[in-house]
Amino acid sequence: MTNLSIKKLRNFEDLENLQKDLKQLRARKKRHCITICQGTACCSARSEEVTKAFVHEIEKRKLKDKAEIKTTGCHGFCEQGPIVVIQPEGLFYTKVKPEDVDEVISETILKNRIIERLLYTDPTTGKKITYEKDVPFYKKQHRIIFENNGLIDPTLIEDYIAIGGYSALAKVLRELSRVEIIDMIKTSGLRGRGGAGFPTGYKWDFCRRAKGDKKYVICNADEGDPGAYMDRSLLEGNPHSILEGILIGAYAIGANEGIIYVRNEYPLAVKNVTIALEQARECGLLGKNILGSGFDFDIRIARGAGAFVCGEETALIASIEGKKGEPRQRPPFPAIKGLWGKPTNINNVETWANVPLIITKGADWYSSIGTEKSKGTKIFSLVGKINNTGLVEVPMGMSLGEIIFDIGGGIPQGKRFKAVQTGGPSGGCIPKDLLNLPVDYEKLAEAGSIMGSGGMVILDEDTCMVDVAKYFLNFLQDESCGKCLSCREGIRRMLEIVTDITEGRGKIGDLELLEELAQAVKDTSQCGLGQTASNPVLSTLRYFLSEYETHIKQRKCPAGVCRELFISPCQNACPAGMNVPGYVSLIGEGRFQEALELALDTNPFPSICGRVCDHPCMSKCRRNQIDEPVAIRMLKRFIGDYEHENLILPPGRVPKEKLPHKVGIVGAGPAGLSCAYFLARLGYQPTVFEALPVAGGMLAIAIPENRLPKRVVQREIERIEAMGVEINLYTQVGKDVKLLELFDEGYQAFYVAVGMYGDRRMGIPGEELRGVVQGVDFLRDVNLKRRVKMGKRIVVVGGGNTAIDAARTALRLGAEEVTILYRRTRQEMPAFEEEIEQALQEGVRLEFLVAPTKIIERGNRVNGVEVVRMRLGEFDSSGRRRPIPQPDQTYRMEVDTVIPAIGEFADIRELFTGLEVETNKDGTIKTDKWGMTSILGVFSGGDVATGPATVIRAVAAGERGAVAIDQYLRPDRTRVYPWRVTKHVDTYYDLEAEPVPYGQAQGPTLSVDARKDNFKEVDLGYTAQMAMKEAKRCLRCDLEVDLEKFHQWEKSLKAIEEVATW
Amino acid sequence: MVNLRLNGVDVQVEEGQTLLEAARFYGIPIPTLCYHEGLSPYGACRLCVVEIGSDPQKSRLVTSCTYPVEEGLEVRTHSTRVIKARKMLVELLVAACPSSKTIQDLASQLGVTKVRFKPRNDDCILCGLCTRMCEEQMAAKAIGFVNRGVERKITTPFDIKSDVCRTCGACIYICPACQLRCQGPEPPTTLCSGCLNLSYPCLDLYEDAQCYMDPCAACLLKEAEEKKQKREVKTENENKEF
Repeated sequence: MTNLSIKKLRNFEDLENLQKDLKQLRARKKRHCITICQGTACCSARSEEVTKAFVHEIEKRKLKDKAEIKTTGCHGFCEQGPIVVIQPEGLFYTKVKPEDVDEVISETILKNRIIERLLYTDPTTGKKITYEKDVPFYKKQHRIIFENNGLIDPTLIEDYIAIGGYSALAKVLRELSRVEIIDMIKTSGLRGRGGAGFPTGYKWDFCRRAKGDKKYVICNADEGDPGAYMDRSLLEGNPHSILEGILIGAYAIGANEGIIYVRNEYPLAVKNVTIALEQARECGLLGKNILGSGFDFDIRIARGAGAFVCGEETALIASIEGKKGEPRQRPPFPAIKGLWGKPTNINNVETWANVPLIITKGADWYSSIGTEKSKGTKIFSLVGKINNTGLVEVPMGMSLGEIIFDIGGGIPQGKRFKAVQTGGPSGGCIPKDLLNLPVDYEKLAEAGSIMGSGGMVILDEDTCMVDVAKYFLNFLQDESCGKCLSCREGIRRMLEIVTDITEGRGKIGDLELLEELAQAVKDTSQCGLGQTASNPVLSTLRYFLSEYETHIKQRKCPAGVCRELFISPCQNACPAGMNVPGYVSLIGEGRFQEALELALDTNPFPSICGRVCDHPCMSKCRRNQIDEPVAIRMLKRFIGDYEHENLILPPGRVPKEKLPHKVGIVGAGPAGLSCAYFLARLGYQPTVFEALPVAGGMLAIAIPENRLPKRVVQREIERIEAMGVEINLYTQVGKDVKLLELFDEGYQAFYVAVGMYGDRRMGIPGEELRGVVQGVDFLRDVNLKRRVKMGKRIVVVGGGNTAIDAARTALRLGAEEVTILYRRTRQEMPAFEEEIEQALQEGVRLEFLVAPTKIIERGNRVNGVEVVRMRLGEFDSSGRRRPIPQPDQTYRMEVDTVIPAIGEFADIRELFTGLEVETNKDGTIKTDKWGMTSILGVFSGGDVATGPATVIRAVAAGERGAVAIDQYLRPDRTRVYPWRVTKHVDTYYDLEAEPVPYGQAQGPTLSVDARKDNFKEVDLGYTAQMAMKEAKRCLRCDLEVDLEKFHQWEKSLKAIEEVATW
Repeated sequence: MVNLRLNGVDVQVEEGQTLLEAARFYGIPIPTLCYHEGLSPYGACRLCVVEIGSDPQKSRLVTSCTYPVEEGLEVRTHSTRVIKARKMLVELLVAACPSSKTIQDLASQLGVTKVRFKPRNDDCILCGLCTRMCEEQMAAKAIGFVNRGVERKITTPFDIKSDVCRTCGACIYICPACQLRCQGPEPPTTLCSGCLNLSYPCLDLYEDAQCYMDPCAACLLKEAEEKKQKREVKTENENKEF
C-alpha cells in the first residue's frame, strides 16, 4: 500500500503515458494480489483487523514478492463480509476473520490450495462457489459502475488511472465542445439518480444557458434514506469516478467551483474523498489549467449537520450558505438561481458516477441498457428481511422478483415475502402480487411508490404494514423542517392517528380521515419531503387495507408486532388465541391440571391439536431467535394425554341454568364440535347432526391413525358430550332430516360446518378409470375400515397434507412404490414440514416440478401415467413463480393406482334442499361478517365457508360461530365472554436469569422399521420430565405486558363491534 | 404587463407581482394568515394556495403569496382541490390553536363544521409574522425560528434575554393567534358556534366556485339543497337493503 509520488500531468500525453506505464507495471507483476474490502460494512465486521493481520504476516514471513495487499472499497455483497478476493484468479473468500489469515497465507498464497470453509455456499443448491464471477449474487447483476470497487484502492489515484481513469475527462477537454457533451448526456437518456429522475442532459443545458458571471456544480452526497448506502460505497470505494464526472459536468456547464455536500455521518467517505481531492490536485487534474486545457476547476467538501431535509436541493444550498436548512419555493430553479444566487447544477453521487462511462463508451451504448424511458443501470441497497443483504447494480427494467429472489436469495428462515419498500420515506410498499413489475421510474410511480435513491427494504410476514407506516411517519416528523403547516402539523396528526390504530384505539372514520389528510399534505406542501410524506401511508392503505381494518375492527395485529394488542406473539398467532405462555409456564412448574384447564378454556381439543396442528404459534416464537422455538405443540399434546392417563376429566364448565333456545349444528367436525363446546359453556344444549357413522369429521376420517389415533379423537369428543351436547350419527341433514323441518320443530339457529369433502378433479383424460381413487375418499375408506382396492405402484398427485397422508397410508397398506408428484418446488409444498420429513424417512418418493397429463389405460384399468416437466416462469399473484409445462419434456411412469389429492371443494347441494343459500364462486357458503348465511338464523363456518384450512382455524371458527349465535338469540353487546379475557397465571419467572441454554427437546418417535405395515402412532410424545424441561425454555414474552391494564382493555372490547342488523 | 388567466378570465398584471396581489387587485378574496402587506411573504400557513397549470393532470398547488406572475399562467383560486385543502388546513389550525378568533373566523368562513383531531392549546402557529416584523419593520432581529419539525419554536438566540429587543410590542401586535381571543370553542367540536357558518354549495355541482363573494352569496343554494336531499334518500334506501 505504498504511495507512489506522481508528478504533475501537464497535458493529455502525460496522462496517456502514465496510464500505459501503470498498466504495464501491473501486467508484469507475477504475484498474488490480496484484495480486502474496507467498506464501512466490512470494517464493522473487523476487516481492518484482517488487513492488519495480513500485513503483519506478509512482513513476518518476508513474502512481499509473492503477495501484495490491496484494501478496496465496498464489494457489494455485504452479508458475506469481510470479503477477501485473491487476484488474479478471483478466488472469493467470505466472512474472513483475523484468525483465518495465517491459514490463507499458508495454504492459498504459498501452496495455491483453496480453503473450502471460507468459500461461499449457495443456499439453494448447497454447493460451494470458488470464484467471484460464479457467485449467483453477482452473476445476474450488470455492474458497470460498481465493478471497479473491488479492484482499486480508493486512496491511490494510480489505481484509478491504471484502469483508464480520467480518460473521459481528457476526451472531453480535448475533443468535445460544451454543447456536444450535453447532447451526449441527453442522448444517453441518463436521469437523475437522486430520486426524482429528471433528465440530466436537460438539467445541465438549463444551467449552461443561464446567465451568470459565476456558476457552481454541487454533488449531493447527503444520502438520507434509511437503509440506503449506495452513495456512501461509491464515495468510499471509487471517489475519483465521482470527481471525474463532476469535472466533465462543470466543463460542460461552465462552472469553475464545485462542492461535494456530504452528510456528517459518513467519516470514511469524507476521508477518502479528501485524499482523492488532494491527490488529484497533485496530479494537476484539479486546479488551474487542467491537463493544459486552460480549464480551471476545484472542488471542496461541505459537511452536513444531521438533517435529512438538507438532501433537498434548495435546503442543501441554504445549508452551504450557512443558513438554516429550509427549502424554498421553485421557480426559480437552482439551475437559474442557486448557490449565492448564481446558476448551480446539483446532481446525485450516482448520477455523476455514470457520466465518465457515457463519455467513454458512448451514449448509444448506454441507452441500449434499460427500458424505453429509464436507461442505464441502477444501484439498489437490498436490505431488510433478505438473505443476501448488500448493494446490487441491475439494468433498469429487471423485475422486482428477479432482484429479490434470484439475486437477493429470497427471505431468510423460509418466511413468506410480504412487500418491498422502495424509495425510502418518500416511497411506498409494493406487495407480492406485483413481483413482475419492472424496475423503472414510470412503473414504480404507477404502482404508488418511487424509485428514490435506490433503497429496497424487504418485508416479510412478520412485518406489520401499519407499523411500517408509523415508522416512516415518525421519521418524517423528526426530519421535517417545520415551515409549512401542512407538513409539520399534517405529518404529526397522521402519526397520531396511525399510532392510535396500532395501540387499539382506532375508530371507524380514521381511515377516511387519514386519506383526506394525506391528500391535503401532498397537495399543499412546499418541498419534496412534505409532498411525498403521505406515500408510505397511501401505499400501505392501497395494498394492505385489510390489515388496517383488522387493527381497527378486531383490535388485532396479524403480524404480531403492535405490542399493545397482544400478550405474546404465540398467543397472537394462534387463531383460537390460546394463552400459550400461561399453560406452558404451568407445565414448567408441574401444575398439569391447571395447565390443562387453561388450555381447555379456549380449545376443546388439546390432545388432537397437540398432534396435528400446524402451530402458527411456534413460527412466531421468540425463542427461535436464540435457538429453536419452544415445542408448544408437543407440550399441548402432553397435557392433553396426561389427563387421560392420570386425571379424572375436569368438570365441564357448564352453567347450572340452561338456556332454552334450541340450536342445531350440522357436522361433527372440529368446527361444529367447537361451536357446540362453546355454546354448552354458555348454557345451551345444542344438538349435532352427523351424516357419517362416526363423529370427528376430518379428524376421524381423513387424518390417518398413525398421526392421530382414533381413540384420542373419541376421548376428546366424549368430553364435549359430557357437557350436555347430543351427537346424532348416521343423520344427514338434507336427506334424513331437513332444515325446514328442524325449524318447525323449534330450532332457532343452526351452525353449518360440514367441511369440504369433494375432491377436485385433475381434469386429465383417464380420471374415470378403475384404479383412480380420490385422496379424501381413499383416506376415509381406510379410516372407516372399509375395503380399499389398491395396487402396488402408486402415484399420488398433490402437495398438501392429504397427499402426504395418502402416500404414507398407501405404504403401510403394502404398496411397493409410492411417488408423490407435485407441480411446484419443495419449499412451496403446503404440507407440514415434519410430515414431509417423515414421509421421506418412510420411503415415499417425491418428484417436484412435474404434473400428470394423461392416465394410460389397459383393459379399462390404470396402467401408467404420462408426466410433463415444468419450469418456473413469471411470478403470479400469490408471489410464487408460476410453473409452466414444457411439452417436449414428458415421460411415462408405470403405475397401477392414481390418487389425486389436489384440493377439496364443498358439496352442499343436498343440505339446503328447500332453501336458497348463496354461495361464492368457489362453492363455499357466503357468510356476512358475523358468519350468518343468506338464510336468517343459519350460520356457517370452517372449511365449508372459508375454503380448506386447518384444525385450529376450525376451532376458532366454531368459537366465533357460538358467540354470533348467542348474540343472535340474546343480543347484548356488553356481554363479556369469559374465555376471551386473558387469565392471569401466577407462575414464577426470574427476569434476571439467563435463558436456559439447551435447545428444543426431540420427542421420541417410532423407528422407521417399526412403522412398516401398521398404523401405530409415530410420535410417542414427551414424558413429564421432558415436558417440564422443555417448558422452561419459554421466554415469557407475556410478562412485558401490564396484565391488569390488558384485562381492562379486553373487557372493554365488545363481542360484536358494529350492531348486527338481523 | 403580464397576461394571466385568472379563474377563466384573461387579465393583465404588472410584472413582479405575486398571484395573491393579482387576485386581490381583481377582487378575488383569498384567505391568508401568515401574509401581511407590509412584510415579505413567507408561505408558512399554506392557506393562500391556488391551483396552477393548464393540464389538469399536471396542475399543482402553490402559495399565491410567494409565486410570481408568469406569462400565460392559468390560475384557479377556488377549485375543488384548493377548497378541500384549505378546509383541511383550517381543521389542523383549529385543532392546534382553538382560542384564536382569527382562526375560528377562518373556520366559519370556509365552512369547516367538524374538527376531527385531538385539540391542543398552542399559543403559536409558527406563521413567522413576528420574526419578519421584528427584522423588517423594526430592524431589531431579536427573535427567529429555532429547531426543526414539531420542535420548531420562536425565540431569542439560545433562549437568552435579548440585548437588541426594544420591547416595542410589534410582535404581539401582528400575531394572529394573540390578536383576538375566542371565548367560544366548544368541546367536542373544538369549534366556536358563535359565528356564521356558510360554505360553497355550488361546489356540489361545479368544479370551481361560481363567485367569490365572501361569505358566499348562495345563488344556487336551493338547487343544491334539493340535489343533496335526493342523494340522502338514495343512501338510506341502500342501507335498508341488508
